[in-house]
Amino acid sequence: MTRGTLPGIGEVARGKWVGTRVTRLEDPRVLLGDARYVADLTLPRMLHVAFVRSIHPHARIVGIDASEAVAADGVRAVVTGADLDAHPLEDTAVHPTLPKTPQPALASDRVLWAGEAVAAVVAASAHAAEDAAERVRVDYEPLQPVHDIDSALAQGAPVLHGHLGSNVLITDRRSSGDVEEAFAEASRIFERRTHTNRLSAAPLETRGCLVDFERSSGHMTVWSSTQTPDLLRWTLASVLDHPHHRIRAVAPDVGGGFGPKMSTYPEEVVVAALARRLGRPVRWIEDRRESLLTLNHSKEQVIDLEIAVRSDGRMLGMRARYFSDSGAYSFNSATALIEPQLAAGLMPGLYDVQAYEYELTAVMTNKTPIGPYRGVGWTSGHTARELLLDEIARELDLDPAELRRLNMIRADMLPYRSATGLEYDSGSYEESLARALDEADYEGFRREQARGRDEGRHLGVGISPYVEPTAFGTEIGEQSGYPYSSHDNATVTVDPAGKVRIAVGVCSQGQGHSTTFAQLVGDALGVRVDDVEVVAGDTERAPFGLGTYASRGAVIGGGALALAAGDVRTKLLRVAAEMLEASPADLEIEDSRVAVRGSPEAALGLEDVAGAAYLDPAVRIDGEEPLLSSTRFYDPRATFSNGCFVAIVEVDLDTGGVTLRRFTAVEDCGTVLNPMIVEGQVRGAVAQGVGAALLEHLVYDDEAQLITTTFSDYLLPTASDVPSISVAHIETPSPVTVGGIKGMGESGLLASPAAIVNAVLDAIGPHDPAKVELPLTPERVLRLAGRI
Amino acid sequence: MKTIPVAFAVNGEPVEVSVEPRKTLADTLREDLGLVGTKLGCEHGACGACNVLLDGHAVRSCLLLGVQAEGAAIETVEGLGRDGELTRLQRAFRDHHALQCGFCTPGFLISVTEYLRDVDAPSEEEIREALSGNLCRCTGYQGIVEAVSSLLGEEEAP
Repeated sequence: MTRGTLPGIGEVARGKWVGTRVTRLEDPRVLLGDARYVADLTLPRMLHVAFVRSIHPHARIVGIDASEAVAADGVRAVVTGADLDAHPLEDTAVHPTLPKTPQPALASDRVLWAGEAVAAVVAASAHAAEDAAERVRVDYEPLQPVHDIDSALAQGAPVLHGHLGSNVLITDRRSSGDVEEAFAEASRIFERRTHTNRLSAAPLETRGCLVDFERSSGHMTVWSSTQTPDLLRWTLASVLDHPHHRIRAVAPDVGGGFGPKMSTYPEEVVVAALARRLGRPVRWIEDRRESLLTLNHSKEQVIDLEIAVRSDGRMLGMRARYFSDSGAYSFNSATALIEPQLAAGLMPGLYDVQAYEYELTAVMTNKTPIGPYRGVGWTSGHTARELLLDEIARELDLDPAELRRLNMIRADMLPYRSATGLEYDSGSYEESLARALDEADYEGFRREQARGRDEGRHLGVGISPYVEPTAFGTEIGEQSGYPYSSHDNATVTVDPAGKVRIAVGVCSQGQGHSTTFAQLVGDALGVRVDDVEVVAGDTERAPFGLGTYASRGAVIGGGALALAAGDVRTKLLRVAAEMLEASPADLEIEDSRVAVRGSPEAALGLEDVAGAAYLDPAVRIDGEEPLLSSTRFYDPRATFSNGCFVAIVEVDLDTGGVTLRRFTAVEDCGTVLNPMIVEGQVRGAVAQGVGAALLEHLVYDDEAQLITTTFSDYLLPTASDVPSISVAHIETPSPVTVGGIKGMGESGLLASPAAIVNAVLDAIGPHDPAKVELPLTPERVLRLAGRI
Repeated sequence: MKTIPVAFAVNGEPVEVSVEPRKTLADTLREDLGLVGTKLGCEHGACGACNVLLDGHAVRSCLLLGVQAEGAAIETVEGLGRDGELTRLQRAFRDHHALQCGFCTPGFLISVTEYLRDVDAPSEEEIREALSGNLCRCTGYQGIVEAVSSLLGEEEAP
């Protein structure tokens, strides 16, 4: 085993496990049907909740008559906004000028989107609750809704939140470098408006929660399909005026998160309030229609981007305006501001453009609130920029790969401070582009494309190099315009039998944390991965943490674990040295045996060392605590992953259908803990990008009614829509994080829509770029190609 | 509401339950028999998470009523493994990283069980077509396709 061979602040030991394709420790229980998601949990005397939701996008509530529902079979209670014991939810972002839009858990005076909950029915079964919910009569006085950015900003538009004075939540401007001069010097100025489609992260498991309340102690246990149990606990304590230490929040098995399960939702507040009021367990499981209507929506923005370009294709400057279609409330824990702000912050991307100015506007509309989904803001900004780059390449008759290479931040410029203040620590930008072109056989493809054209086949290629901000610690939060304290904590304990228990604040929604963390600690302590038990997602069993989002698990959770495991290892070696009469520096641990290096006969089982550490005062030095445990905190410096995607498509110009022929990914996330899991993250996120580019769209009509509320209308990609995705790895360890680890969960969705859309446009050939609408459905493809 | 007695077999065991005539087979399995391994992802027949084998055929248990199971032999994910040991199919899913959050996995295992029984030597495109009745939001499907491919042409039951 080698130790400390990887650069970085702190070490990650690389022995048997780190960097290898360990199959997942969590798989058998899922495969055998033993996994337990919140809908699988039941408690004695459990009651069920169904919500009454507004049918109007904007209305005054004149009255609610629940008498018929209250009298229905099996119904225990009906609660409305007027009699709910809860404060409104507010976003908790620490931002100096961001106004609040308090969101009642149940609307009482007015509704601001179709789907907003106005009452909750509690009954003996979910069926009875749903039946009774239909009998709650709500008398509405409909008001004019605003269904998009234009109608929200129009003169005389109805205003959603009176205290804002308009439908603008916030505007922000920033300028860096000499933008005037860059645009004056340019030989051409290119511009495009990109309207990115509204998406649902659509995890296969919908939301849901079960709350138990013990009357004698006031203790509340909340099981929820959440990414952030500690934040859920904190928020519930605050809005319910409930003692924080009398709430336990648990994320059991969670069936996918992807961002939207970060926030605390009104339904969680209502269910907890009902459990407390009734003194009985209460459960609510969202159905799919509710999910498409009420899980936060994502990524819809209108972005006007101008790029000033020299005649050789070198970009000199950028100007951009961002308008986000934020929905009815600035959502708690993740606000209406993050979508446009993160798009704006990353617009220069991995290109060397220092002259950049932007203005962003977060616009409130009578729609489902917008919130995070894998690659918040970055997907939309990246797509807008990369679409314009392909237009520039076509106009200047440059190869799109060459245009990108020409403008890229060179290896000798790293570390690099972007125009918006992001500090790229390290990367392999040019190398990733070159490798991706090579892996995709770009030159060969261009020949195939030309031959295909002669045969009436329409092939196209899209190239999408990216940089991905990861590891949301305090520093990257500040660089992104969100100053907040973003660390996490981990505990490593070796028990008296020599087995290991680790507890982390970053819980899993399926990413495989139990495996990657066991690998990391397995190498640090010289034990097998199945001797490591991972605890997470429970505020009573794991240390406080901010949860899992923004590609922070491996960097922050892994970093804290590496530090804690280092402490425990030091102590173990000190005890073993005492027992073996050797120096700690001469000892190594492998397969749970501590041995003197070079003398394997002088060895002890880890259980003997651990047992002695706990129970034999003779091995302890004065004042030393017997517990073999360490809890460490980690708040990493900013670190950035990078890579490049190449999509190759064929378009049928009779049907408008798009077939993805090949998809090549090159990714560089620094030190790779488990390549199999990294590849799974890339492929899964790219599949979501296939949906974003070609299929998925939350469609509202002009009356602000969502008309895509089933999986027959909101189309997720199937196995036939997603191609085989090759993934190649480059490892450029971060110089600033523990073990050189970088995050990598979001790049697939950040950069693949641009690759796919550009490939389709390349295949279509000459078209009017102003008419590109996303997603590229068959009808839109045919329109762009002038076939209909 | 009135209930109707229904008798059928689940994972080889005879069962008798009395269910409301409107209750789906999925809810009957999950609520009345405690077989919560079968998942509900959409309840409108689009996602396949609730697939079970009914007389050997993969069906959407959210689109069938419990009373329709009368006399049938049902198999669920709980019946696939033997004494807590993974089957070859389940091992292939693990070895090819064919699952992440696992919510869709029971439905895929059921669909693939039927598919492998009936298929000879399909192309990758045909495998993808066969899998397209089940939605997965995590994996991008590649691991699932590879797991299925790895089991083709083998004599032993998966």
